Amino acid sequence: MQGRSRAIGQDRAGQFKTMITHHPDTNTLTEFAANSLSCAQSIVVATHLDTCELCQQRLAELECIGSALFESAEPVDVDASLFDLVLAKLDEVEEAPAANDANASDLAWTVKQVRQGNLGGLNWRKVTKTLKIADLGAIDGAAEFSLYHIAEGGSIPQHNHSGTETTLVLQGGFSDETGSYHAGDFVTREAGEEHSPAAIAGGDCICLAVLEAPLRFTRWHHRLLSPLLQLRAG
Amino acid sequence: MVDKQGEGARGQSATSAWSVPEGRRTDEWSQCVVRIAEHRDRAAFAKFFAHFAPLIKAFALSGSSLSAAHADELVQEVMLKVWQKAAGFNPEKAAASTWVYTIARNCRTDMFRRLQKFDTQLEAEDVGFELESDEPTMALHASRGAIRVRELLGDLPQDQAQILAKVYMEGKSHSETAAELGLPLGTVKSRVRLAIQKLQVFMEAGSEE
Ligand SMILES: [Zn+2]
Repeated sequence: MQGRSRAIGQDRAGQFKTMITHHPDTNTLTEFAANSLSCAQSIVVATHLDTCELCQQRLAELECIGSALFESAEPVDVDASLFDLVLAKLDEVEEAPAANDANASDLAWTVKQVRQGNLGGLNWRKVTKTLKIADLGAIDGAAEFSLYHIAEGGSIPQHNHSGTETTLVLQGGFSDETGSYHAGDFVTREAGEEHSPAAIAGGDCICLAVLEAPLRFTRWHHRLLSPLLQLRAG
Repeated sequence: MVDKQGEGARGQSATSAWSVPEGRRTDEWSQCVVRIAEHRDRAAFAKFFAHFAPLIKAFALSGSSLSAAHADELVQEVMLKVWQKAAGFNPEKAAASTWVYTIARNCRTDMFRRLQKFDTQLEAEDVGFELESDEPTMALHASRGAIRVRELLGDLPQDQAQILAKVYMEGKSHSETAAELGLPLGTVKSRVRLAIQKLQVFMEAGSEE
């Protein structure tokens, strides 16, 4: 059984410049598999999955649980007329054009660009000399959802969160009090944890981040910047 | 395509926990979808409908989340997607039951969002991940996983089975599950992890952080 994981690891060795070492935990991936994460969190997990073979495999296995429960359910009678209804629509859907970019919403298009790494066209706002933010909107009104671009040598002011912060490194890397994170790494900070992320030397760092509640900056001279909304306006 | 899968399944030695004999059911439904894709076979579609429509309806009604009328609407939507997307089904990648489960899951999420009038125009597929891997080992394990898990489900302690049902069948988040059952969030999280461990889902011990 272990041989399988090792084999995949070997197949993929060298495909990424840095090995992904931080992954969504089992609970997060299970909620993703069952479609119960918030939209914004789903996007962050899906973007991690785009480049993480290990989590792709784990997801396939977690979807098997959903599938097994689905198949073990007590069937509920379906009226025979329903099949006729569906049958009557088969030709209709046959001719319907497949969904494509033309009828996707703006947000769906933006999400696709982010997942494909096309970040240039986003609406970047300069916040400090070394920090730019592209706001992806408060999806479903429940989360702050943004991209952070920290220039080489730059950092984000020390802050803590009143809610969970989920971050995915897209390019470069950052380090904070807990360690160093590189492209592909998925990092969760629970409410109340303080940190001040700084871009790792060697290039700019771009991250995708979801905040369940606005950041609170802890250093007095950054108070003016808090909450995040004001930070953006500055 | 189908023959090739059968051959692969027979060629696999039964040493790992997941290498259970290929169930006829899975083969049968995968063949159904392939016939729908390649021959637009309405008889195969009817057979697939007869088996899966009542399961989709059960899924829709789990946790009384949708009305009977909406459940019927969901059955229609899912079965039309089966017809439309059959060509994209790869029997070497997943079991047909897992494939239809993921379609039903996404359709239900989109229906929830429509009914709750979320203003964000995103569909489940936009924020989801569809496995594209053609790794034969991964595909074989995936196609057997559902069968193996189904066998082990019956042995789960009631408290863990109940939570898995809330999480997967009702599509509740861990927090919603905790609130509904009057349990601390940490208890829900650990029961989910214990259940997953018992179902021997993860191949690699220590993949956990
Ligand atoms: Zn991962």
